[in-house]
Amino acid sequence: MSVFITPLFVVCVLLVGTYFIAVIEQLLRLGLRSIGIALTLPLANAIRLLYQEDLTPRGADFFLFRSAPFIALAVVSLVALVIPLGPTLIAFNPSIGLFYFIVLLSPFVVAITNAAWSQNSKEGLFATFRAAAYLISYEVPIGFAAIGPVMATQSLSTQRIVEVQAGLWFVVWQPLGLAIYLIAALFVSFRHPFDSALAGSELEGGAFAEYSGGRLLLFKIALAALFLLLMAMGVVLFFGGWQGPVLPGPLWFALKTFALSALVLWLAHFFPRLRHDQMLTLSWKILLPASLLNITLVGILTLTIPVGR
Amino acid sequence: MIGSGKSGARSGLSSRVRRRVYRYIGIDGGAGATLLADLAGRNPYLQEVPVPRHADLLLIVEPISQKLVPAVITVARAIPYPVRVLIVGGTDTTSFTDVPLANLDALFPEAQRVSAFSCEQILQTVFDAHEWLDIHPPALSELEETIIQLPTARELATEPAVLSLGPLQAFTSGPLRLFLVCDGEQVLSTQVETGYASRGINHMLVQADWQQGLRLARQFDPLTPIAGQLVYVDALEHLQGWQPSIHVYRCRALALALERVQNTFWWLVRFARLLADSVLTQHSYQLARDLAALCSQLWQRPPEEWILPHHSAPGVRESKNTLAQLQRVLRSTAALQRYVERKRGLALRSRGIGILTVAQLKRSGIGQGPVYNASEHGRGDVQSRLVIRARDAVRDLQFAYDGIAELAAQPELDTDIQAVSWDIPIGETRTEVVGPRGTIELHLYHRERKEPDGPTQVVWKRPSVPLLMLLPELLAGQKLADAEVILASLDIAMVEVDG
Repeated sequence: MSVFITPLFVVCVLLVGTYFIAVIEQLLRLGLRSIGIALTLPLANAIRLLYQEDLTPRGADFFLFRSAPFIALAVVSLVALVIPLGPTLIAFNPSIGLFYFIVLLSPFVVAITNAAWSQNSKEGLFATFRAAAYLISYEVPIGFAAIGPVMATQSLSTQRIVEVQAGLWFVVWQPLGLAIYLIAALFVSFRHPFDSALAGSELEGGAFAEYSGGRLLLFKIALAALFLLLMAMGVVLFFGGWQGPVLPGPLWFALKTFALSALVLWLAHFFPRLRHDQMLTLSWKILLPASLLNITLVGILTLTIPVGR
Repeated sequence: MIGSGKSGARSGLSSRVRRRVYRYIGIDGGAGATLLADLAGRNPYLQEVPVPRHADLLLIVEPISQKLVPAVITVARAIPYPVRVLIVGGTDTTSFTDVPLANLDALFPEAQRVSAFSCEQILQTVFDAHEWLDIHPPALSELEETIIQLPTARELATEPAVLSLGPLQAFTSGPLRLFLVCDGEQVLSTQVETGYASRGINHMLVQADWQQGLRLARQFDPLTPIAGQLVYVDALEHLQGWQPSIHVYRCRALALALERVQNTFWWLVRFARLLADSVLTQHSYQLARDLAALCSQLWQRPPEEWILPHHSAPGVRESKNTLAQLQRVLRSTAALQRYVERKRGLALRSRGIGILTVAQLKRSGIGQGPVYNASEHGRGDVQSRLVIRARDAVRDLQFAYDGIAELAAQPELDTDIQAVSWDIPIGETRTEVVGPRGTIELHLYHRERKEPDGPTQVVWKRPSVPLLMLLPELLAGQKLADAEVILASLDIAMVEVDG
């Protein structure tokens, strides 16, 4: 029975979560006074897209073009399985949960490159190259940033990482790791200001330029869900996951995740969209050395102050 | 009461969910840059999208030239069903022959139409239209292929790709097409294609009489109607031998300065949106709207009326309140100037790109205007253009503030309105005014009397033209993502170029 209920539960949680991410985005754009509009606009947008014609451009690779949104959605659904929402509320709890999470992020870029390449347009081809370049660039820093909590916990289990932070959240002594993780998370989820593969106006919309209707909606949901999951993993790695007083664990987890999402989106809006080479420079010349420094610092601290062991 | 309140809130929420969202793609024939920039921030239920596939509403701002029609049809055909079309504006060109403008009503007979360039009217039409008729865009006839010269074989060369930017893009005010020959993300060479915004303004001015010409001159660049009209008015006054009073002269200078600032603000809005810099977008958008509201209620009579020859200077409405508002705008603009000077994130995307030297500009015949000033007083890159224009806006606003304070202090202005009797002698004249992009120069020839009597030849010197000529040289070697930023920083008005 759980074979059917668990995926259904995960998809429902993802849909509700993406809705709230969309609401937060609208609130940041329109201001807190427009809460009514912010609550309804994502739904109205979704309904509008569902009613729109779903076009496939002439000369497109039919299979890749039509399957790309489903690949993206499948990836985020699989990644969501290892996020612990509560002490016992986790869909899949392998001992290598964090490794599973980071490895399964990669196929999302495959969905984006498939979508961009299959359009049979030059703009799409440029978007493919950009997305592929980002894939290589962000995976290293995000992996290294996640190593800090793993070193402190001596475990790759997401549930174990949360449990170890009962006394002290890792953000307190790994702020550099958190900063690197959050910047890399924006990269991974193609969020502003790192969205030049999807929104660069010189590419006229980039990878999603030819998508319309339901498939565009699926992509938008998948992108928002990916961002949500990365923030959720950020909460697991640095903010003690579901741990917190008085309130139930899942509620704490949701509050922390949405608060972190709002903070990151708010900070991101202070920057203009970066050029692709600036993004790569940031990744290789700043984030990578910084993440190595973070590992060294965490290693020293872990040896001297054995947190949670 | 509480119950009814809850029910009201519930019905409000459900009506919002049910309310239609429209996603539009705007086509600017050349006159709509400000309108589209304003509209994009007006109502969250009317959203601008960058590509036709994401849109369900096509917004066309007239006038649309015949050359632009294939692009309009292509965009309309790319929009998924259901497709709606809204046509905005329309120029009164029916009395002139040989005008190269498209008849959009024939092209899209099912389209809705708004006659005024007003965001309120557009929003009202979009949301109150009970019955939108689905548009079936006409088939596109075979397009003439453009031949692009690719670079010859180079050592270790990759295959170059040609990317077409435009003609429907937001980097200039008005349609322009660029063919960028790219080696990966680097632009190797650029081919510029113009003529999409041509309305035959010179031809119309020669066909028109003096009085019609005064109105048509506002269309020279629809984004700077006062500058266009004023240069024509100056020419007529010069030919006729009329001298405006000092009050009129001052009021004209004030109106011109405020128009320059308005243009700068709306250009900043478009530029900030291009970079997706939401702080700069919000700041400049708020300033642009505040100033537009201020200007609309500043004068006791609209400028297009009193700017004409032999009209009296207007008074200023509610001068105390106006001055307080202007002071607020001035302070905010100074803050905006500091933002563009100091913000590191913005500098990251604008510093060191698109550099133009003074020598380069002089070689192209550019010796004034914000682009020249940025090269003379700054590094000549995109950031210095932003800074210079923000500084110019502060200076113009200060000038306007002082001028209006002086006007408000005067109890009575000259009121010697006289009927204009045209009797322009044979001759020629050259006049100029400083517009937002540089000096607009007009050579007006009246070599013979004709019926109806009007100019026999009109020659404009347009600040956007030499800048456009510089583009291929400027973009070569730049990164693809920077090409549009550089182009946008020049603030080229295509209607001004195409005429």
